[in-house]
Amino acid sequence: MPYRPLVLFLLTAAGAVVLGEATPVEAQTAQEKKQKRLEKFLKKNAKPDEAPAKQPEVPVAKPVAVADPVKAKDAAALARYIDGEIARGLAEEKLSPSPRCSDDEFLRRAYLDIAGTIPTADKARAFLDSKDADKRAKLLDELLADPRYGRHLADAWTAKLFPADSANRFVLKEPLHKWFEAQFNANAPWDQLVTALVTAEGSVEQNPAATYFLANRSVDKLADTTAQHFMGIQLQCAQCHNHPFTTWKQTEYWGMAAFYSKVVADRPKNANKGGDNTKIGVHEGPAQSRAKDFFPESAKTVPPKFLGGPEPSLGTRDPYRPVLAKWLTSPDNPYFAKAIVNRTWAQLFGRGFVNPIDDMLDENPASHPDLLAGLARHLSTTGGYDLKYLVKAVCLTDAYQRTSRPTPDNKDDKYQFSHMTMKAMSPEQLFDSLAEVTALGKAAGGKPDKKQAAAGKGAPAGARAQFVNFFLAGAEVTSPVDYEAGIPQALRLMNSNIANNPAAVRGVVGSATKPEEAIERIYLAALSRRPTADEMKTLTQYVAKAGTPTTAYGDILWAALNSSEFTLIR
Amino acid sequence: MLTEKTRRDFLRLSAAGVFAPTLSGWMPVMARAAEATGRKPAKSCILLWMDGGASHKDTFDLKPDSKGAGEFKPIKTSAPGVEISEHLPKIAGVMNHGALVRGMSTPEGAHARAKYYGHTGYREGQGGLIYPSLGAIASKELGNPDGSLPNFVAIGGRSFGSGFLGPKHQPLLITDANRGVEDLKASAAATQFENRLGLLDKMEKAFQREYQADAITDHKTTYERAVRLMQSKEAKAFDLSAEPAAARSKYGTGRFADGVVMSRRLVEVGVPFVEVSLGGWDTHQDNFTRVKNLSSQIDPAISALVTDLKERGLLETTLVVWMGDFGRTPNINARGANPGRDHYPRAWSLAMWGGGIRGGAVVGKTDKEGATVVDRPTTAQDYLATVCELMGIDHTKKNETATARPITIVEKPKPFTSLIV
Repeated sequence: MPYRPLVLFLLTAAGAVVLGEATPVEAQTAQEKKQKRLEKFLKKNAKPDEAPAKQPEVPVAKPVAVADPVKAKDAAALARYIDGEIARGLAEEKLSPSPRCSDDEFLRRAYLDIAGTIPTADKARAFLDSKDADKRAKLLDELLADPRYGRHLADAWTAKLFPADSANRFVLKEPLHKWFEAQFNANAPWDQLVTALVTAEGSVEQNPAATYFLANRSVDKLADTTAQHFMGIQLQCAQCHNHPFTTWKQTEYWGMAAFYSKVVADRPKNANKGGDNTKIGVHEGPAQSRAKDFFPESAKTVPPKFLGGPEPSLGTRDPYRPVLAKWLTSPDNPYFAKAIVNRTWAQLFGRGFVNPIDDMLDENPASHPDLLAGLARHLSTTGGYDLKYLVKAVCLTDAYQRTSRPTPDNKDDKYQFSHMTMKAMSPEQLFDSLAEVTALGKAAGGKPDKKQAAAGKGAPAGARAQFVNFFLAGAEVTSPVDYEAGIPQALRLMNSNIANNPAAVRGVVGSATKPEEAIERIYLAALSRRPTADEMKTLTQYVAKAGTPTTAYGDILWAALNSSEFTLIR
Repeated sequence: MLTEKTRRDFLRLSAAGVFAPTLSGWMPVMARAAEATGRKPAKSCILLWMDGGASHKDTFDLKPDSKGAGEFKPIKTSAPGVEISEHLPKIAGVMNHGALVRGMSTPEGAHARAKYYGHTGYREGQGGLIYPSLGAIASKELGNPDGSLPNFVAIGGRSFGSGFLGPKHQPLLITDANRGVEDLKASAAATQFENRLGLLDKMEKAFQREYQADAITDHKTTYERAVRLMQSKEAKAFDLSAEPAAARSKYGTGRFADGVVMSRRLVEVGVPFVEVSLGGWDTHQDNFTRVKNLSSQIDPAISALVTDLKERGLLETTLVVWMGDFGRTPNINARGANPGRDHYPRAWSLAMWGGGIRGGAVVGKTDKEGATVVDRPTTAQDYLATVCELMGIDHTKKNETATARPITIVEKPKPFTSLIV
């Protein structure tokens, strides 16, 4: 199709007009500022042949100079503060919020967002029938104390810090996952957790956090993950050239990377030849290594330097990583607390104040800069980096508890949290939720191979891991808000035994004898709600028409498990 | 207000050269080339991946007078002046439709990294991203997003996937061509399956009415495509039992032959990219017996594929590529009684047929030993950009990662299109 670019050209002509119209001279809101910056960037970027504009010197980043907006560690007070700020944004944009969500929306949402799975039918029935005025707050406490809270966060963080890579294919992933799970469940303060990771020493067996270094086997990968995941900054572009969007220079990149230059990580043993990878580990060596994974011509060896910050004076014999960890988690670092606040918000709302969530550059301003700064300040001081506390406070807000049904007035809003964003389950959430209904995993032959595990081979691919890999389909993560599964995944859900399991139908329907009762059980189990009157009418007719009720129940469960309502988080 | 989608569009469009003084540079060149030759871009590509890395000196770049010449003799082909291994006599008969690139020279000597680079044009770990493979790029740029057929099919083992382009461009994997697509057969009898779809449709409509989210529409589209695939007559392309026995036997026997038959059937119904892999080329030991055996698999399969495509009028619009991880050492190693050749990325060969290329062209040249490229060294970027140009894909286009980083389809290539069309 040789004319493709021409078509694009025509499209743009139209697009440029829209852009022009939508840009008032006196930009007021953050979004408009963002748009203007974008426009400027596009114009600048559009002339690759011209010499790049001279980059200004990178200023030394200043500490967050905001006062703590909530003086006590009080989740309800923090929730009120958040709602006040969100209301301000809504008023500025003249948007009215959607109403409070129903109990069934809240139940399913809170379960999936916090514990990573859906409630059982019994749990759903009990919650929906409860008359306790405080039942939502109580559910939040229950879910935050549930061990699945730690597993859900461990899924996300293991995926981030253990990228798929040929150099780490024999490194054990499970110990890191277990470590994260335990840390999150014990509610280790975030600054301490990150310090433990960044400074980890010892073997996998002694200190599973050391896996971080075994899985990211070069200083450049470590610089990337540190900046991206702990500071919310995409630094990778600066690996090979000065960052195109911002003022990061290539030396800033290699200055960060240099903090990891004394890390000595053992080589993973070939598990196919019986190597035991629980004994390998990491230590801080005496001298800087020059090994880099991808070595652009222009890469330089530079002394350790904090990103956008000063060059610390380090003796050649001093360990580097504790110095990095101290700066990373200190109040002098303007990114650390904001990054985890933005991530946590995105985990619950499908999008952060800054999007993409790990692109927190000045050029990409937040939708609610004051709220982000205020929450970061509070979490890093009064809040003591207590993540369960942060989640609880956010989930208590009106903003979190709004329905995802848009109103005609706010349906186009994507930035002001006027209604809850529809989220898509991650592969892990989908597997765990299907397992909740169908006993998937127990039935699917996902037994770990004990012999293999004992021999120290890579984590045995149990049913959950296999399912997750199939739904990830080679990607590292799936989008939190887009439905991204393809034809093979739809075929698997429709036609494999996952949604075609007579034992699962019996398990869900149980001893119900009347069709109404059976249908209600299917809905509570799969969709965490009771069917509407309309649905009940249609479905009882369907059962009556079918030859055998069990077949009809199987059909209804099949449809529920394959529905978008099942796989999306409303 | 500029929505995120619009923002992405602007970035993409700006990458296409809209704000730039000129349109992307390759277009005029391609347009001129197309005008001069009257050729249309290829619609499909079949990539035959020789897993493990095939010995160039024992297949398409024989050096009978070199030190590590090996046991095989060169033979003449239907392309004047082009000689290949004596164990590829049928392929020799179709070299008048093919081109050889004998100057491949790449930087990766370990299997996983070499395969990654050969499929994506990027080094593993570069810039902290997972890059899309050629098949995913073709799926994105040429595929029909709403069609009943997948736009990228990989047959016979693991392939490199869609990376940051996302699961929509992931290949449909066929482990064994004889068994067809996994989960393609409906889980219930036709009437019951229809009933189930009816129930599902009611649920979807009600949910969409209430919640009006894009994700609900995307879910619906994906399910509709999957169901159409299950019920379409094009899906018969995945069913090898529908292929006449005589037609099938020309391809030889075994999984690779079956996969190549399926690839032809898929191209016939319009699938833009099919990859078929054949393992076993990592011949550190017993090189000559093994390469002879492997040659006996590719020889009938490739020659039958090219002939069938030609007879069906599809060769002009279908590009067939034969390649692997890297080449193998010009010298024969000293591993036991039946020695072999080791990994060698510095100089190796790939072969192409169809897709509007000029038959008999040879690009690049190695020295007397087959050890160093002495004319036109070719990287994976050069090769990938060439395939893009043959298929009408603008390889200078930037696609966006999930975090809105614009990434050029092929970075800094020197395509050799003009030498083969």
